[in-house]
Amino acid sequence: MLDLFRKRRMWRPTAELKDNYDVVIIGGGSHGLATAYYLARDHGITDVCVLEKAYIGSGAAGRNTTILRSNYKTSEGARFYDASVKLYEGLGAELNYNLLFSQEGHLTLAHTDRAMFVMVERAEVNRLAGIDSRVIGPEEIEGLAPAMAMSRDAVHPVMGALYHPPGGIIRHDAVVWGLARGVDRGGAEIHPYREVTGVERSNGRATGVTLSDGTRVGAGMVVNATAGWSSTIASMAGVELPITTHILQAFVTEPLKPLLDVVIVSSQMHVYISQTDRGEFLIGAEIEPWTTYRQQGTLNFIQEASRHTLELFPQLERARILRSWAGLCDISPDFSPILGDTEVENFLISTGWGTYGFKAAPIVGKTIAERIGTGTTPDLIEPFALERFYRDRLVSELGAAAVSH
Amino acid sequence: MSFLLTCPNCGEREVTDFAFGGEVVPRPSSKPSERELNTYNYFRRNVAGLQREWWNHRSGCRAWFLAERDTTTNEVRWVALPGA
Amino acid sequence: MSERLPPNPRERINRARTINFSFDGKDVEAYDGDTIGSALHASGQKVLSRSFKYHRPRGLLCCAGQCPNCLVDVDGSPGVRACTEPVRAGIKVTHMNAKPSLDFDVMRATDLFGKPFTPPGFYYKTFIRPRRLWPLYEKVLRNAAGLGRLAKRQADREWRTEYRRRRADVLVVGGGVAGMAAALRAAELGADVVLMDDGPELGGAMLAGQDADSAKELAESIRAAGVEVLAPAAALGFFDGLVPAWQGNTLHQVRADRHIAATGSIEQPLIFDGNDLPGVMLCSGAERLASLYGVRPGETAVVATTTDRGLESALALQEAGIEVAGVVDARAGDGSEELLGALAAAGISVHRGTGVVKAFGRKHVRGVVVADLDDEGRPDPASKRGIDCDLVAVSGGTMPATSLLLQAGAKARWDEASGSYLPDGVPSDIRVAGAVAGHEPRNCAAKSGAVAGAEAALSLGLGSEEDRARLQADRASLLRETEGPAPAGQARTQDAGSRNGKCFACLCEDVTTKDIDYAIEEGFDSLELLKRYTTVTMGPCQGRMCQLASIRQMSEDTGASIEEVGLTTARPPWSTVPMGVLAGRPFEPAKRSAVHGRHRELGGNVMWAGDWRRAYDYGDVRAETMAVHEGAGLIDVSTLGKLVVSGPEAGAFLNLLYPNRFDNLKPGRIRYGVLGDDAGRITDDGTICRLDENSFYVTTTSSGADAVESWFSWWLAEWKLDVQLTDVSQGLSAFNLAGPRSREILSGLTELDCSNDSFAYLDGKRANVVGVPCLMLRIGFVGELGYELHCPGPLAEHLWDSLLEAGAAHEIRPFGLEPQRILRLQKMHILVGQDTDAESNPLEAAMPWIVKFEKEEDFIGRWALEAVAERGAENKLIGFTIENGTVPTEGAAVVVDGQPVGLVTSSRFSPKLERSIGMAWVPAALAEDGTTITVSDEGRQISAAVQTAPFYDPDQELLRG
Repeated sequence: MLDLFRKRRMWRPTAELKDNYDVVIIGGGSHGLATAYYLARDHGITDVCVLEKAYIGSGAAGRNTTILRSNYKTSEGARFYDASVKLYEGLGAELNYNLLFSQEGHLTLAHTDRAMFVMVERAEVNRLAGIDSRVIGPEEIEGLAPAMAMSRDAVHPVMGALYHPPGGIIRHDAVVWGLARGVDRGGAEIHPYREVTGVERSNGRATGVTLSDGTRVGAGMVVNATAGWSSTIASMAGVELPITTHILQAFVTEPLKPLLDVVIVSSQMHVYISQTDRGEFLIGAEIEPWTTYRQQGTLNFIQEASRHTLELFPQLERARILRSWAGLCDISPDFSPILGDTEVENFLISTGWGTYGFKAAPIVGKTIAERIGTGTTPDLIEPFALERFYRDRLVSELGAAAVSH
Repeated sequence: MSFLLTCPNCGEREVTDFAFGGEVVPRPSSKPSERELNTYNYFRRNVAGLQREWWNHRSGCRAWFLAERDTTTNEVRWVALPGA
Repeated sequence: MSERLPPNPRERINRARTINFSFDGKDVEAYDGDTIGSALHASGQKVLSRSFKYHRPRGLLCCAGQCPNCLVDVDGSPGVRACTEPVRAGIKVTHMNAKPSLDFDVMRATDLFGKPFTPPGFYYKTFIRPRRLWPLYEKVLRNAAGLGRLAKRQADREWRTEYRRRRADVLVVGGGVAGMAAALRAAELGADVVLMDDGPELGGAMLAGQDADSAKELAESIRAAGVEVLAPAAALGFFDGLVPAWQGNTLHQVRADRHIAATGSIEQPLIFDGNDLPGVMLCSGAERLASLYGVRPGETAVVATTTDRGLESALALQEAGIEVAGVVDARAGDGSEELLGALAAAGISVHRGTGVVKAFGRKHVRGVVVADLDDEGRPDPASKRGIDCDLVAVSGGTMPATSLLLQAGAKARWDEASGSYLPDGVPSDIRVAGAVAGHEPRNCAAKSGAVAGAEAALSLGLGSEEDRARLQADRASLLRETEGPAPAGQARTQDAGSRNGKCFACLCEDVTTKDIDYAIEEGFDSLELLKRYTTVTMGPCQGRMCQLASIRQMSEDTGASIEEVGLTTARPPWSTVPMGVLAGRPFEPAKRSAVHGRHRELGGNVMWAGDWRRAYDYGDVRAETMAVHEGAGLIDVSTLGKLVVSGPEAGAFLNLLYPNRFDNLKPGRIRYGVLGDDAGRITDDGTICRLDENSFYVTTTSSGADAVESWFSWWLAEWKLDVQLTDVSQGLSAFNLAGPRSREILSGLTELDCSNDSFAYLDGKRANVVGVPCLMLRIGFVGELGYELHCPGPLAEHLWDSLLEAGAAHEIRPFGLEPQRILRLQKMHILVGQDTDAESNPLEAAMPWIVKFEKEEDFIGRWALEAVAERGAENKLIGFTIENGTVPTEGAAVVVDGQPVGLVTSSRFSPKLERSIGMAWVPAALAEDGTTITVSDEGRQISAAVQTAPFYDPDQELLRG
């Protein structure tokens, strides 16, 4: 509370870039900042520089729909995201910044018996991993989301849902700013508006990066945490990725009085819906099928997402859409992330995040920092190595992740 | 609706009329190594720039055709039926 | 209606016709033609809303639908702009954000006492510990936030909306003088032109001024020239050339070859303490209210300005009958001599080099404090003096409305001379005209429009040499008028006030200039960060009223130039729009078979199956299942994908696609096939019947029909084989007649010899059945003797009826999907997508026999399957039985030591076998007959015994018999 009356800078003004750092992190989003944060916190590594081509949080970190959950389909995924949600739960207090984490629960609706099958599968895997996740029927759903239309005659009647009580929404920008402040206080540097255009290599190892203005920055370790742009950065290092880049879109309505506490996801209707603390309904859908680096939304998305939202919440028909946007997603073939080492030594990646990267920010930061600090890959991210695609060892979230918020 | 695409058979249509077939990746002509096979199956250039890719006119003539599109602008520079 | 001015020729109201509506339960009388806002203001209701955060009273400001001040709820629709929404008889208008009433809002306490506690982002700094109390705080925050209130529950959509697509040569956005001139010129040159404008009447800024009549004439002439006018229709965005516009119940989607942006400019407010009080209005807003609706914006006005606009406005207001107590002009020297002369003649005093530092009053302006400004624009405290007034008309210059252009890919360039961001780098298919192009003076707006219209039309190949010449001349003259120094009086827009008290930079979100300073000092020192942190520009006005102010302040605070500060990304929609409009008509495409009506008549329990609506059962799953075992059953399988693959290389083509062989299949014979991709993963399955030497009939799964057609045609495009592919899925229906007595039934309906010798298992034959030409496939998906009859859709009903009729004597029953699932499970016939997933390959999915590595030619998936064969199966799809009859939930996990190692993909109780049976994925080590596996189902542990052979008729005797 006292902080209210103290006007303190969140972070120091941007410093002069040095010639060399122990670790250079490309990407000033939630993953890059979390990595820098945990490097200092857990391993005392502070000679770290985060390079961001625009403002911090300008990419996926500031464009996602802020949903946190851990009810994944694979044991590997569930375990990993569970660790992430647990870190998120304590992150606000640790950073002394209210991240507005609203853990009101997450419902994935099933409208067909086929969808129920997938829910049961996920619930069971989650339960065995100690994650609170269960299949519930229409009556319980009604209690959790009384504003939702639950007619049995609906085109897509709600048969049940996967209910995940610890899931919810968090304020994404607060996560970025809280982490950035933590990074800054930990001693690392954040350099916004610095675009990396080259990765330097020598004898098969990464040794630094070059920037769009020609500046060269030497690095003991380079981390690529650039989500949608992962392929372009990796190719600078000579690393090819199993990634395609697509846009994911979302929109908000004008603020409304509270109607919905939980997060509603319907994969059949390709839509996910939550209401922010400001009162805006925040609605997203699935990625566009074609690849692109152009972050411009499509009318088709707003139309389809509106139509589907109104099937669940007809009273929103008169609610006005205020703002829509698009962000880039790095989709991997098995809908699981790709984390850790590459064949270029000292060039680490955090990619393949598709539509679920923000949920993983703290655990990515912690595990990548551990990889850098200890030289060994933590068990938690072992299954997600790039190498799995060389050997066809996928960790398939397919089916569960198609619309997975 | 977003950008327009020109089907070589039918002409200019909204992109929602089409199914995207991904960037063109040539299938190995003879038995690949494990690494080559998995590279073909999973890895993509995913360029920010001109990309040669497959499209299917799903809501039209259903033909597959090739296009060159700038993935940074979605501008389609060239389309053709395969082999044409 | 005491607040009405004497009639004037420009007014839009019909004083002879009154309309009544209610506001917060009170009756309000309006004139036909009024907006809700004008009628309320006229009735004395000056406070229309309470602000988002501090619940401060707010009244009319822009009168043009540009600001958040008049948002009301109309008949349950929140967020309606009262100032532009026409009055309709009987509507119920209510305020949105105040409790218990608009006049007395308890939440105002946050304004009066809470300010020190609510700096920008205060919620990030509070309620952090203890975490368990946060949900409580959050509830309070949530209830305090939000403006509109919607029904707690609503069963269905109540508002019918429509899409309309329109293709045009030229689309003009904006119906002011420039837009109309552009549309007229383009239409004259032969272009098909659509013009959209968000106002109810074309004319834009002209309507409230002296040129209203010429606006009306111009509007008539463009209609006469064949221009399609959409108004009021707000353009929502620019989506790669597609421009949607909302008009009533319709969402127009216009795609044009050329676009003309004539979106005008937006008058900017001024920053001073109390600049949000009711009674503070934009000059244009006050003029519109007086001129269009005959409503007195105030008794006594002070006009505060930084440009000549304010001088003009003072004259206009006085002419309308409002006493002007003075003009406060921030400029010390500039200003049109002509206007200053006119003001002097009218007896209006002009305070040059002064600014408003404060507007005072409790719920409405009672006066202003003005002060002299120094060279830096800072007020001199010693010079402070008060002027009584109940209207402060402000004009802080204008900001070109560039949003749509920015969405279309244009850039914005800061123009120091005009003090505004002008469009730059505009894409070649777009022309800009009028104020948005910086062609502000009205005399050149028309020319600017005509040039844009001509350029658009001529670039489409319309027009003659003469027209080109005229364009050249017009261009040259436009250039002369717009080039050179900015016209006198167009001083750089600036904020003329002080930063004391509550100066609102952003009205939507209640962000004060102090908040912005605070945020910048905290380190949010780029515009995008500032925006996200303070939420300035993120409210319902979309930055119209606050973007420039925040840019300017950022520039002042950080020392960066305005150009360096830049604009935030322009995001659609440009005007807020209800979701119902974007959603269009509610519809959900569903596929139904040719005999769907029969399923309904027979009492079928119809549900979704992929895109199809299918009968899950006809009321008695058990009886239907047993009928197939004991007598006969009939199921509609028209949903199957059906492809004819023909040509000399058809066999070779199928050999390449499937892991097994088809070139050696004999005509009239059938073989099962599994499709996979090059990663070896199963994508679909079905049966393939060779019809003759050169053609094959391929069936696919119901849900995979489109994907398989697409897959086949893709490889055909790649391989260029001499093969034709015809998708007959939609044209043909198919029924599976199955059961021990199916042969008898069929024999009675066809002349074909159906004996086992001449029509054996896996034979495919063509014959007429009750006169209907059929392709008959003797296959056994459900495990009993059976025939799949494929026939033309239009004849299907006759065939279906005849089969049931003839079968009646043999105790035939129609059966649905659910009995079919039990029947096929007894045979361990897999369902692709249920028993297999995106990871499964045929070697592990209990079908190693289907992969013919010995085939000499390549096939899709061969290499990957070879790799699987080499490393050995890791997981296997197996059958299981459970003794005590427990049926685990499909999707339940198979566990070893409490860890999931597999899953149950199918499980049913078989009435025939009187056992619980199922299929599951398990580690290869457990895939041996008799092994006990453990299933975890909602925590329950269930033991099951592995069985690898089919549960029913494992030796296929029934099928072959």
